[in-house]
Amino acid sequence: MAQKEYDTFVLTDPSAVPDEQQNVELIVRDLNPEDRRNKYRSFFAKANVSKDKSRYADVLWIRLGRGQLLNEPWSIEVQEEIDKFA
Amino acid sequence: MSYNCPKDNREFMKALEESGDMISIDQEVDWDMEMGAITRRVCEEQAPSPYFKNIKDYPGFESLGAPMATYRRLAIAMGLDAEAPIPEIANEYVKRTKEEPIAPVTVGKKDAPCKENILLGDDANLFHLPGPMVHGGDGGRYLATWHFVVSKDPDNEEINWGMYRMMVFDEKTMVGPVLPFSDMGKMFHGKYAPRNQNMPFAAVLSADPMSSLASCAPSPIPEDQFAGQLMGEAVEVVQCETCDLMVPASAEIIIEGEVIPGIEIEEAPFGEYTGYRTSPREPRTVYRIKAITYRNNPIMMISNMGMPVDEGQLLRSFSLGLEMHKLLESQGIPITGVYMLPESTHHMVVVGVKTAYTGIATQIGNLIYGSKLSPWFHMTIVVDEDTDIYSKDAVIHALSTKCHPIRDIHKYENAPGTPLNPFASPEERKVSMGAKVLFDCTFPLDWPKSDLPIRVSFDNVYPQEIQDKVNANWQKFGYK
Repeated sequence: MAQKEYDTFVLTDPSAVPDEQQNVELIVRDLNPEDRRNKYRSFFAKANVSKDKSRYADVLWIRLGRGQLLNEPWSIEVQEEIDKFA
Repeated sequence: MSYNCPKDNREFMKALEESGDMISIDQEVDWDMEMGAITRRVCEEQAPSPYFKNIKDYPGFESLGAPMATYRRLAIAMGLDAEAPIPEIANEYVKRTKEEPIAPVTVGKKDAPCKENILLGDDANLFHLPGPMVHGGDGGRYLATWHFVVSKDPDNEEINWGMYRMMVFDEKTMVGPVLPFSDMGKMFHGKYAPRNQNMPFAAVLSADPMSSLASCAPSPIPEDQFAGQLMGEAVEVVQCETCDLMVPASAEIIIEGEVIPGIEIEEAPFGEYTGYRTSPREPRTVYRIKAITYRNNPIMMISNMGMPVDEGQLLRSFSLGLEMHKLLESQGIPITGVYMLPESTHHMVVVGVKTAYTGIATQIGNLIYGSKLSPWFHMTIVVDEDTDIYSKDAVIHALSTKCHPIRDIHKYENAPGTPLNPFASPEERKVSMGAKVLFDCTFPLDWPKSDLPIRVSFDNVYPQEIQDKVNANWQKFGYK
Protein backbone atom coordinates (compact mmCIF):
# COMPACT_ATOMS: atom_id res chain seq x y z
CA MET A 1 0.00 0.00 0.00
CA ALA A 2 1.35 3.41 -0.96
CA GLN A 3 2.48 5.72 1.78
CA LYS A 4 -0.34 7.94 2.97
CA GLU A 5 0.15 11.63 3.63
CA TYR A 6 -1.92 13.61 6.07
CA ASP A 7 -1.64 16.94 7.77
CA THR A 8 -2.99 18.36 10.99
CA PHE A 9 -3.11 21.73 12.70
CA VAL A 10 -1.27 22.09 16.00
CA LEU A 11 -2.82 24.96 17.90
CA THR A 12 -0.26 25.12 20.70
CA ASP A 13 3.52 25.44 20.70
CA PRO A 14 4.61 22.29 18.81
CA SER A 15 7.70 22.01 20.98
CA ALA A 16 5.37 21.45 23.93
CA VAL A 17 3.73 18.46 22.24
CA PRO A 18 5.10 15.12 23.53
CA ASP A 19 7.48 13.36 21.15
CA GLU A 20 5.32 10.24 21.21
CA GLN A 21 1.53 10.08 21.52
CA GLN A 22 -0.45 6.84 21.65
CA ASN A 23 -4.17 6.53 20.91
CA VAL A 24 -4.55 10.26 20.60
CA GLU A 25 -7.62 11.79 18.94
CA LEU A 26 -6.96 14.47 16.35
CA ILE A 27 -8.35 15.93 13.16
CA VAL A 28 -6.31 15.05 10.07
CA ARG A 29 -6.69 15.90 6.41
CA ASP A 30 -6.11 13.33 3.67
CA LEU A 31 -3.56 14.79 1.24
CA ASN A 32 -3.29 11.92 -1.25
CA PRO A 33 -6.65 10.13 -1.52
CA GLU A 34 -7.32 7.60 -4.25
CA ASP A 35 -9.91 9.93 -5.79
CA ARG A 36 -8.21 13.32 -6.07
CA ARG A 37 -11.55 15.09 -5.68
CA ASN A 38 -11.44 14.04 -2.01
CA LYS A 39 -8.16 15.82 -1.28
CA TYR A 40 -8.23 17.75 2.02
CA ARG A 41 -11.09 15.63 3.35
CA SER A 42 -10.89 15.96 7.13
CA PHE A 43 -11.76 13.35 9.71
CA PHE A 44 -11.41 12.68 13.40
CA ALA A 45 -8.82 9.94 13.83
CA LYS A 46 -7.62 7.82 16.71
CA ALA A 47 -3.92 7.50 15.96
CA ASN A 48 -0.38 7.05 17.15
CA VAL A 49 1.77 10.06 16.38
CA SER A 50 5.53 10.52 16.59
CA LYS A 51 7.80 13.45 15.97
CA ASP A 52 10.21 10.87 14.53
CA LYS A 53 9.29 10.87 10.85
CA SER A 54 10.42 7.27 10.39
CA ARG A 55 8.56 5.80 13.38
CA TYR A 56 5.28 5.12 11.54
CA ALA A 57 4.62 4.36 7.92
CA ASP A 58 2.53 7.37 7.06
CA VAL A 59 3.52 11.03 6.89
CA LEU A 60 1.94 13.70 9.05
CA TRP A 61 2.66 17.27 8.02
CA ILE A 62 2.24 19.88 10.72
CA ARG A 63 0.62 23.26 10.31
CA LEU A 64 0.22 25.93 12.95
CA GLY A 65 -2.97 27.80 13.78
CA ARG A 66 -2.68 30.28 10.95
CA GLY A 67 -1.57 27.78 8.36
CA GLN A 68 2.21 27.96 8.71
CA LEU A 69 3.77 24.68 7.53
CA LEU A 70 6.63 23.22 9.55
CA ASN A 71 9.63 22.09 7.51
CA GLU A 72 9.88 18.57 8.89
CA PRO A 73 6.92 16.18 9.01
CA TRP A 74 6.04 13.83 11.83
CA SER A 75 4.77 10.28 11.31
CA ILE A 76 1.40 8.74 12.02
CA GLU A 77 -0.42 5.44 12.27
CA VAL A 78 -4.18 5.95 11.91
CA GLN A 79 -5.99 3.29 13.91
CA GLU A 80 -9.56 4.26 13.15
CA GLU A 81 -11.77 7.04 11.89
CA ILE A 82 -14.20 8.37 14.49
CA ASP A 83 -17.66 9.33 13.27
CA LYS A 84 -18.91 12.16 15.46
CA PHE A 85 -22.35 12.02 13.88
CA ALA A 86 -23.07 8.29 14.23
CA MET B 1 -39.85 49.67 -12.17
CA SER B 2 -37.17 47.31 -13.37
CA TYR B 3 -33.63 48.64 -13.38
CA ASN B 4 -32.52 46.12 -16.03
CA CYS B 5 -30.11 44.32 -13.74
CA PRO B 6 -28.85 40.92 -14.92
CA LYS B 7 -31.47 38.38 -13.87
CA ASP B 8 -28.99 35.63 -13.14
CA ASN B 9 -25.32 34.77 -13.05
CA ARG B 10 -25.23 33.98 -16.77
CA GLU B 11 -26.78 37.26 -17.90
CA PHE B 12 -24.27 39.01 -15.68
CA MET B 13 -21.35 37.12 -17.23
CA LYS B 14 -22.60 37.94 -20.72
CA ALA B 15 -22.64 41.63 -19.79
CA LEU B 16 -19.14 41.37 -18.32
CA GLU B 17 -17.86 39.76 -21.49
CA GLU B 18 -19.42 42.45 -23.68
CA SER B 19 -17.86 45.25 -21.65
CA GLY B 20 -14.42 43.60 -21.58
CA ASP B 21 -14.62 42.92 -17.85
CA MET B 22 -14.25 39.13 -18.12
CA ILE B 23 -11.62 36.85 -19.66
CA SER B 24 -12.40 33.26 -20.68
CA ILE B 25 -9.72 30.73 -19.74
CA ASP B 26 -10.03 27.54 -21.78
CA GLN B 27 -6.90 25.77 -20.57
CA GLU B 28 -7.24 23.39 -17.62
CA VAL B 29 -6.76 24.98 -14.22
CA ASP B 30 -6.49 23.21 -10.90
CA TRP B 31 -9.08 23.79 -8.16
CA ASP B 32 -6.20 23.15 -5.73
CA MET B 33 -4.81 26.69 -5.32
CA GLU B 34 -4.33 27.54 -9.03
CA MET B 35 -7.82 29.04 -9.50
CA GLY B 36 -7.35 30.84 -6.23
CA ALA B 37 -3.96 32.21 -7.21
CA ILE B 38 -5.28 33.53 -10.52
CA THR B 39 -8.23 35.15 -8.79
CA ARG B 40 -5.99 36.66 -6.13
CA ARG B 41 -3.75 38.30 -8.72
CA VAL B 42 -6.82 39.54 -10.57
CA CYS B 43 -8.00 41.25 -7.36
CA GLU B 44 -4.64 42.83 -6.65
CA GLU B 45 -4.35 44.13 -10.22
CA GLN B 46 -8.05 45.01 -10.58
CA ALA B 47 -8.05 42.91 -13.76
CA PRO B 48 -11.07 41.41 -15.55
CA SER B 49 -12.87 38.44 -13.93
CA PRO B 50 -11.40 35.07 -14.92
CA TYR B 51 -13.97 32.61 -16.34
CA PHE B 52 -12.55 29.12 -15.75
CA LYS B 53 -14.03 26.78 -18.35
CA ASN B 54 -11.96 23.68 -17.68
CA ILE B 55 -11.48 22.68 -14.04
CA LYS B 56 -9.19 19.75 -13.26
CA ASP B 57 -11.07 16.69 -11.93
CA TYR B 58 -14.45 18.34 -12.47
CA PRO B 59 -15.65 18.09 -16.09
CA GLY B 60 -18.98 19.82 -16.60
CA PHE B 61 -18.32 22.43 -13.92
CA GLU B 62 -17.09 25.96 -14.56
CA SER B 63 -16.17 28.86 -12.33
CA LEU B 64 -15.98 32.65 -12.30
CA GLY B 65 -13.44 34.41 -10.13
CA ALA B 66 -13.72 37.89 -8.60
CA PRO B 67 -17.21 38.55 -9.93
CA MET B 68 -17.68 42.02 -8.43
CA ALA B 69 -14.24 43.18 -7.34
CA THR B 70 -14.35 46.49 -9.23
CA TYR B 71 -16.76 49.42 -9.36
CA ARG B 72 -17.12 48.74 -13.08
CA ARG B 73 -18.49 45.27 -12.40
CA LEU B 74 -20.70 46.62 -9.63
CA ALA B 75 -22.13 49.18 -12.06
CA ILE B 76 -22.84 46.43 -14.60
CA ALA B 77 -24.49 44.33 -11.90
CA MET B 78 -26.75 47.27 -11.07
CA GLY B 79 -27.76 47.69 -14.70
CA LEU B 80 -25.67 50.87 -15.09
CA ASP B 81 -22.99 51.81 -17.58
CA ALA B 82 -19.63 50.26 -16.73
CA GLU B 83 -18.08 53.74 -16.77
CA ALA B 84 -20.47 55.14 -14.15
CA PRO B 85 -18.45 57.07 -11.53
CA ILE B 86 -18.63 56.04 -7.89
CA PRO B 87 -20.88 58.92 -6.74
CA GLU B 88 -23.38 58.05 -9.47
CA ILE B 89 -23.41 54.39 -8.44
CA ALA B 90 -23.80 55.45 -4.81
CA ASN B 91 -26.63 57.87 -5.53
CA GLU B 92 -28.44 55.23 -7.57
CA TYR B 93 -28.08 52.71 -4.74
CA VAL B 94 -29.43 55.16 -2.17
CA LYS B 95 -32.31 56.10 -4.47
CA ARG B 96 -33.33 52.48 -4.97
CA THR B 97 -33.13 51.69 -1.28
CA LYS B 98 -35.63 54.47 -0.58
CA GLU B 99 -38.24 52.75 -2.75
CA GLU B 100 -40.65 50.12 -1.40
CA PRO B 101 -39.24 46.62 -0.78
CA ILE B 102 -40.39 44.03 -3.33
CA ALA B 103 -41.30 40.59 -2.04
CA PRO B 104 -40.06 37.56 -3.96
CA VAL B 105 -42.39 35.51 -6.14
CA THR B 106 -42.54 31.74 -6.02
CA VAL B 107 -42.10 29.63 -9.13
CA GLY B 108 -42.60 25.90 -9.61
CA LYS B 109 -39.72 23.47 -9.72
CA LYS B 110 -40.09 22.96 -13.46
CA ASP B 111 -39.41 26.66 -13.93
CA ALA B 112 -36.40 26.68 -11.61
CA PRO B 113 -33.04 26.09 -13.34
CA CYS B 114 -31.43 25.28 -9.97
CA LYS B 115 -33.50 22.08 -9.95
CA GLU B 116 -32.04 20.70 -13.19
CA ASN B 117 -29.93 18.28 -11.14
CA ILE B 118 -30.94 17.00 -7.70
CA LEU B 119 -28.63 14.96 -5.48
CA LEU B 120 -30.04 13.41 -2.32
CA GLY B 121 -28.79 10.88 0.24
CA ASP B 122 -25.28 9.54 -0.38
CA ASP B 123 -25.24 11.29 -3.77
CA ALA B 124 -25.26 14.65 -1.99
CA ASN B 125 -21.50 14.67 -1.58
CA LEU B 126 -19.67 17.96 -1.14
CA PHE B 127 -16.61 16.60 -2.94
CA HIS B 128 -18.70 16.29 -6.09
CA LEU B 129 -18.47 20.08 -6.32
CA PRO B 130 -15.23 21.83 -7.32
CA GLY B 131 -14.73 23.62 -4.03
CA PRO B 132 -11.43 25.44 -4.42
CA MET B 133 -8.46 25.50 -2.09
CA VAL B 134 -8.53 29.27 -2.24
CA HIS B 135 -5.23 30.12 -0.56
CA GLY B 136 -2.16 28.10 0.38
CA GLY B 137 -2.39 27.33 4.10
CA ASP B 138 -6.17 27.47 4.36
CA GLY B 139 -7.81 25.05 6.77
CA GLY B 140 -9.76 23.42 3.98
CA ARG B 141 -11.60 23.90 0.73
CA TYR B 142 -14.09 26.74 0.83
CA LEU B 143 -17.11 25.96 -1.30
CA ALA B 144 -18.89 29.06 -0.23
CA THR B 145 -16.99 32.28 -0.78
CA TRP B 146 -19.43 34.20 -2.97
CA HIS B 147 -22.76 32.91 -1.83
CA PHE B 148 -25.33 33.41 0.89
CA VAL B 149 -26.97 31.27 3.52
CA VAL B 150 -30.75 31.29 3.82
CA SER B 151 -32.24 30.77 7.27
CA LYS B 152 -35.53 31.51 8.97
CA ASP B 153 -36.36 32.81 12.43
CA PRO B 154 -38.26 30.06 14.27
CA ASP B 155 -40.55 32.55 16.02
CA ASN B 156 -41.50 35.16 13.46
CA GLU B 157 -40.60 33.35 10.21
CA GLU B 158 -38.40 36.28 9.18
CA ILE B 159 -35.98 35.32 6.42
CA ASN B 160 -32.27 36.06 6.53
CA TRP B 161 -29.79 35.91 3.66
CA GLY B 162 -26.22 36.42 4.81
CA MET B 163 -22.68 35.59 3.70
CA TYR B 164 -21.14 33.18 6.17
CA ARG B 165 -18.03 31.41 4.94
CA MET B 166 -18.22 27.61 4.83
CA MET B 167 -15.29 25.21 4.83
CA VAL B 168 -15.74 21.64 3.63
CA PHE B 169 -14.89 19.20 6.42
CA ASP B 170 -16.05 15.92 4.87
CA GLU B 171 -18.61 14.64 2.36
CA LYS B 172 -21.54 15.79 4.45
CA THR B 173 -20.17 18.45 6.74
CA MET B 174 -19.21 22.09 6.45
CA VAL B 175 -18.02 24.35 9.25
CA GLY B 176 -17.75 28.08 9.63
CA PRO B 177 -17.98 31.05 11.98
CA VAL B 178 -21.44 32.33 12.83
CA LEU B 179 -20.65 35.31 15.02
CA PRO B 180 -23.18 35.95 17.79
CA PHE B 181 -23.92 39.54 16.75
CA SER B 182 -24.71 38.56 13.14
CA ASP B 183 -28.33 38.11 12.09
CA MET B 184 -28.00 34.35 11.63
CA GLY B 185 -25.93 34.18 14.83
CA LYS B 186 -28.75 35.78 16.80
CA MET B 187 -31.15 33.26 15.28
CA PHE B 188 -29.04 30.16 15.78
CA HIS B 189 -27.23 30.90 19.04
CA GLY B 190 -30.16 32.83 20.52
CA LYS B 191 -33.11 30.63 19.52
CA TYR B 192 -32.41 27.29 17.85
CA ALA B 193 -29.44 26.20 19.95
CA PRO B 194 -30.99 26.92 23.39
CA ARG B 195 -33.97 24.80 22.30
CA ASN B 196 -31.59 22.11 21.02
CA GLN B 197 -33.20 22.40 17.59
CA ASN B 198 -31.44 21.91 14.28
CA MET B 199 -31.72 25.00 12.08
CA PRO B 200 -32.56 24.34 8.42
CA PHE B 201 -30.31 26.22 6.00
CA ALA B 202 -29.76 26.56 2.29
CA ALA B 203 -26.45 27.80 0.91
CA VAL B 204 -27.01 29.62 -2.38
CA LEU B 205 -23.89 29.52 -4.53
CA SER B 206 -23.75 31.99 -7.42
CA ALA B 207 -27.09 33.76 -7.48
CA ASP B 208 -27.96 36.83 -9.52
CA PRO B 209 -25.66 39.72 -8.60
CA MET B 210 -28.26 41.87 -6.79
CA SER B 211 -29.28 38.99 -4.53
CA SER B 212 -25.61 38.50 -3.69
CA LEU B 213 -25.20 42.22 -3.04
CA ALA B 214 -28.33 42.28 -0.85
CA SER B 215 -27.04 39.37 1.21
CA CYS B 216 -23.81 41.14 2.14
CA ALA B 217 -25.32 44.61 2.57
CA PRO B 218 -26.47 45.79 5.98
CA SER B 219 -30.15 46.61 5.73
CA PRO B 220 -33.10 46.35 8.10
CA ILE B 221 -35.20 44.98 5.23
CA PRO B 222 -35.27 41.18 4.82
CA GLU B 223 -32.74 40.46 2.10
CA ASP B 224 -35.12 38.56 -0.18
CA GLN B 225 -37.16 41.79 -0.41
CA PHE B 226 -34.10 44.03 -0.43
CA ALA B 227 -32.79 42.21 -3.51
CA GLY B 228 -36.09 42.95 -5.26
CA GLN B 229 -35.78 46.58 -4.21
CA LEU B 230 -32.31 46.80 -5.76
CA MET B 231 -33.47 45.10 -8.98
CA GLY B 232 -36.77 46.94 -9.20
CA GLU B 233 -38.53 43.63 -9.62
CA ALA B 234 -39.20 40.50 -7.60
CA VAL B 235 -36.63 37.76 -7.23
CA GLU B 236 -38.03 34.41 -8.36
CA VAL B 237 -37.67 31.79 -5.65
CA VAL B 238 -38.39 28.08 -5.39
CA GLN B 239 -38.81 25.80 -2.40
CA CYS B 240 -35.94 23.61 -1.22
CA GLU B 241 -36.08 19.82 -1.52
CA THR B 242 -35.67 19.03 2.17
CA CYS B 243 -37.22 21.99 4.01
CA ASP B 244 -39.57 24.91 3.45
CA LEU B 245 -36.87 27.51 2.82
CA MET B 246 -37.07 29.36 -0.49
CA VAL B 247 -34.03 29.98 -2.70
CA PRO B 248 -33.45 31.98 -5.90
CA ALA B 249 -34.65 29.77 -8.74
CA SER B 250 -31.90 30.79 -11.14
CA ALA B 251 -28.97 30.23 -8.75
CA GLU B 252 -26.26 27.92 -10.00
CA ILE B 253 -25.93 25.60 -6.97
CA ILE B 254 -27.97 25.07 -3.78
CA ILE B 255 -26.72 23.12 -0.78
CA GLU B 256 -29.44 22.21 1.72
CA GLY B 257 -29.10 20.91 5.23
CA GLU B 258 -29.22 21.75 8.91
CA VAL B 259 -27.04 23.71 11.31
CA ILE B 260 -26.41 21.45 14.30
CA PRO B 261 -26.40 22.67 17.90
CA GLY B 262 -24.29 21.09 20.61
CA ILE B 263 -21.24 20.32 18.49
CA GLU B 264 -18.49 22.48 17.04
CA ILE B 265 -15.62 21.48 14.78
CA GLU B 266 -12.35 23.26 14.07
CA GLU B 267 -12.49 25.66 11.14
CA ALA B 268 -9.95 27.97 9.50
CA PRO B 269 -7.43 29.40 9.06
CA PHE B 270 -8.61 31.29 6.00
CA GLY B 271 -7.37 34.32 4.09
CA GLU B 272 -9.72 36.99 5.34
CA TYR B 273 -11.10 40.29 4.12
CA THR B 274 -8.59 42.24 6.20
CA GLY B 275 -5.80 40.95 3.97
CA TYR B 276 -4.48 38.62 6.69
CA ARG B 277 -5.14 35.25 8.22
CA THR B 278 -5.96 36.59 11.66
CA SER B 279 -8.59 34.51 13.36
CA PRO B 280 -7.19 31.23 14.57
CA ARG B 281 -8.33 27.75 13.76
CA GLU B 282 -10.89 27.02 16.42
CA PRO B 283 -14.19 25.20 16.99
CA ARG B 284 -16.97 26.72 14.92
CA THR B 285 -20.55 26.10 13.81
CA VAL B 286 -21.38 22.85 12.01
CA TYR B 287 -23.56 22.47 8.90
CA ARG B 288 -24.71 18.96 7.88
CA ILE B 289 -25.97 18.63 4.36
CA LYS B 290 -28.95 16.71 2.99
CA ALA B 291 -29.23 17.74 -0.65
CA ILE B 292 -27.40 19.46 -3.48
CA THR B 293 -29.23 20.86 -6.49
CA TYR B 294 -27.65 22.62 -9.44
CA ARG B 295 -28.10 23.94 -12.94
CA ASN B 296 -26.75 22.06 -15.92
CA ASN B 297 -23.06 22.97 -16.39
CA PRO B 298 -23.02 24.99 -13.19
CA ILE B 299 -20.75 28.00 -12.88
CA MET B 300 -19.47 28.48 -9.36
CA MET B 301 -18.26 31.90 -8.29
CA ILE B 302 -15.11 32.37 -6.24
CA SER B 303 -14.27 35.35 -4.15
CA ASN B 304 -10.66 35.42 -3.01
CA MET B 305 -10.28 37.49 0.11
CA GLY B 306 -6.91 38.99 0.84
CA MET B 307 -5.07 42.19 0.07
CA PRO B 308 -7.43 44.75 -1.51
CA VAL B 309 -9.50 44.90 -3.55
CA ASP B 310 -11.89 41.93 -3.62
CA GLU B 311 -15.67 42.04 -3.83
CA GLY B 312 -16.13 41.50 -0.12
CA GLN B 313 -14.13 44.64 0.60
CA LEU B 314 -15.67 46.62 -2.22
CA LEU B 315 -19.31 45.74 -1.67
CA ARG B 316 -19.23 45.83 2.11
CA SER B 317 -17.49 49.19 1.97
CA PHE B 318 -19.99 50.46 -0.55
CA SER B 319 -23.09 49.31 1.31
CA LEU B 320 -21.83 49.98 4.84
CA GLY B 321 -20.88 53.51 3.87
CA LEU B 322 -24.25 54.16 2.32
CA GLU B 323 -26.12 52.75 5.33
CA MET B 324 -24.13 55.26 7.40
CA HIS B 325 -25.17 57.91 4.91
CA LYS B 326 -28.84 57.05 5.47
CA LEU B 327 -28.41 56.93 9.23
CA LEU B 328 -26.77 60.35 9.42
CA GLU B 329 -29.25 61.83 6.98
CA SER B 330 -32.15 60.46 9.02
CA GLN B 331 -30.76 62.32 12.04
CA GLY B 332 -30.65 65.61 10.18
CA ILE B 333 -26.86 65.84 10.06
CA PRO B 334 -25.92 68.11 7.12
CA ILE B 335 -23.65 65.60 5.44
CA THR B 336 -22.32 66.12 1.94
CA GLY B 337 -21.53 62.42 1.46
CA VAL B 338 -20.20 59.25 3.06
CA TYR B 339 -17.58 57.01 1.49
CA MET B 340 -15.95 53.94 2.93
CA LEU B 341 -12.63 53.15 1.28
CA PRO B 342 -12.50 49.57 -0.05
CA GLU B 343 -8.71 49.70 0.34
CA SER B 344 -9.31 50.06 4.07
CA THR B 345 -11.04 46.66 4.06
CA HIS B 346 -14.16 48.50 5.19
CA HIS B 347 -12.50 49.74 8.35
CA MET B 348 -12.32 53.43 7.47
CA VAL B 349 -15.26 55.66 6.66
CA VAL B 350 -14.99 59.22 5.40
CA VAL B 351 -17.87 61.56 6.19
CA GLY B 352 -18.19 64.89 4.43
CA VAL B 353 -20.21 67.47 6.36
CA LYS B 354 -21.13 71.11 6.37
CA THR B 355 -19.69 72.29 9.67
CA ALA B 356 -22.91 73.90 10.82
CA TYR B 357 -22.11 73.85 14.51
CA THR B 358 -19.36 73.05 16.96
CA GLY B 359 -18.98 69.39 17.88
CA ILE B 360 -20.58 68.04 14.73
CA ALA B 361 -17.74 65.60 14.09
CA THR B 362 -18.07 64.13 17.59
CA GLN B 363 -21.80 63.80 17.08
CA ILE B 364 -21.18 61.90 13.83
CA GLY B 365 -18.71 59.60 15.60
CA ASN B 366 -21.17 58.88 18.40
CA LEU B 367 -23.98 58.12 15.97
CA ILE B 368 -22.14 55.73 13.72
CA TYR B 369 -20.23 54.00 16.49
CA GLY B 370 -23.53 53.55 18.31
CA SER B 371 -25.11 51.77 15.35
CA LYS B 372 -25.41 47.99 15.00
CA LEU B 373 -22.95 48.10 12.11
CA SER B 374 -20.10 49.48 14.16
CA PRO B 375 -18.32 46.17 14.93
CA TRP B 376 -17.21 46.12 11.28
CA PHE B 377 -15.25 49.37 11.24
CA HIS B 378 -13.24 51.47 13.60
CA MET B 379 -11.86 54.57 11.86
CA THR B 380 -13.96 57.60 11.01
CA ILE B 381 -12.60 60.66 9.24
CA VAL B 382 -14.86 63.69 9.23
CA VAL B 383 -13.99 66.29 6.61
CA ASP B 384 -15.65 69.53 5.61
CA GLU B 385 -17.28 70.16 2.26
CA ASP B 386 -13.99 71.46 0.91
CA THR B 387 -12.60 67.91 0.72
CA ASP B 388 -13.49 65.40 -2.01
CA ILE B 389 -14.43 62.30 0.03
CA TYR B 390 -13.83 60.01 -2.96
CA SER B 391 -10.25 61.19 -3.41
CA LYS B 392 -7.75 59.30 -1.27
CA ASP B 393 -5.21 62.06 -1.92
CA ALA B 394 -7.59 64.75 -0.73
CA VAL B 395 -8.58 62.76 2.37
CA ILE B 396 -4.95 62.06 3.29
CA HIS B 397 -4.18 65.73 2.83
CA ALA B 398 -7.08 66.78 5.09
CA LEU B 399 -6.09 64.20 7.69
CA SER B 400 -2.48 65.35 7.63
CA THR B 401 -3.20 69.05 7.81
CA LYS B 402 -6.52 69.73 9.54
CA CYS B 403 -6.57 67.08 12.26
CA HIS B 404 -4.87 68.28 15.47
CA PRO B 405 -2.88 65.31 16.84
CA ILE B 406 -4.16 65.87 20.36
CA ARG B 407 -7.39 67.85 20.16
CA ASP B 408 -8.99 66.28 17.10
CA ILE B 409 -8.37 62.57 17.63
CA HIS B 410 -11.05 60.99 19.80
CA LYS B 411 -10.68 57.43 21.05
CA TYR B 412 -13.45 55.01 22.01
CA GLU B 413 -12.44 52.12 24.24
CA ASN B 414 -14.27 48.88 25.07
CA ALA B 415 -16.22 48.96 21.82
CA PRO B 416 -17.56 45.94 19.93
CA GLY B 417 -15.20 44.56 17.29
CA THR B 418 -14.61 41.26 15.53
CA PRO B 419 -12.12 38.43 16.07
CA LEU B 420 -10.78 39.20 12.59
CA ASN B 421 -9.17 42.53 13.49
CA PRO B 422 -5.43 42.08 12.90
CA PHE B 423 -4.58 44.84 15.41
CA ALA B 424 -6.49 43.21 18.25
CA SER B 425 -4.65 41.26 20.90
CA PRO B 426 -5.33 37.51 21.16
CA GLU B 427 -7.39 38.23 24.30
CA GLU B 428 -9.43 40.93 22.56
CA ARG B 429 -10.09 38.63 19.60
CA LYS B 430 -11.52 35.95 21.86
CA VAL B 431 -14.29 38.27 23.07
CA SER B 432 -14.64 40.35 19.89
CA MET B 433 -13.43 43.44 21.72
CA GLY B 434 -12.57 46.41 19.57
CA ALA B 435 -11.73 50.09 19.82
CA LYS B 436 -12.64 53.07 17.67
CA VAL B 437 -11.11 56.35 16.66
CA LEU B 438 -12.51 59.54 15.20
CA PHE B 439 -10.37 62.00 13.23
CA ASP B 440 -11.96 65.44 13.15
CA CYS B 441 -10.58 67.13 10.04
CA THR B 442 -12.74 70.23 10.21
CA PHE B 443 -11.43 73.62 11.26
CA PRO B 444 -13.01 74.87 14.52
CA LEU B 445 -15.83 77.31 13.98
CA ASP B 446 -14.65 79.63 16.74
CA TRP B 447 -11.43 80.57 14.94
CA PRO B 448 -11.47 84.11 13.56
CA LYS B 449 -12.08 84.01 9.82
CA SER B 450 -8.86 85.89 9.23
CA ASP B 451 -6.95 83.04 10.94
CA LEU B 452 -8.40 80.27 8.78
CA PRO B 453 -5.78 78.68 6.52
CA ILE B 454 -6.54 79.00 2.82
CA ARG B 455 -6.23 75.91 0.63
CA VAL B 456 -3.66 76.61 -2.07
CA SER B 457 -4.85 74.74 -5.13
CA PHE B 458 -5.49 75.43 -8.79
CA ASP B 459 -9.23 75.67 -8.24
CA ASN B 460 -9.04 77.87 -5.15
CA VAL B 461 -6.42 80.59 -5.48
CA TYR B 462 -6.77 81.75 -9.08
CA PRO B 463 -9.51 83.85 -10.61
CA GLN B 464 -11.95 81.91 -12.78
CA GLU B 465 -10.77 83.64 -15.94
CA ILE B 466 -7.20 82.52 -15.33
CA GLN B 467 -8.34 78.94 -14.68
CA ASP B 468 -10.42 78.98 -17.88
CA LYS B 469 -7.50 80.31 -19.90
CA VAL B 470 -5.11 77.70 -18.55
CA ASN B 471 -7.64 74.93 -19.15
CA ALA B 472 -8.35 76.10 -22.68
CA ASN B 473 -4.66 76.06 -23.58
CA TRP B 474 -3.69 72.96 -21.61
CA GLN B 475 -3.37 70.59 -24.57
CA LYS B 476 -1.76 73.28 -26.66
CA PHE B 477 0.96 73.46 -24.03
CA GLY B 478 1.63 69.78 -24.70
CA TYR B 479 -0.20 68.29 -21.72
CA LYS B 480 -2.79 65.52 -22.09
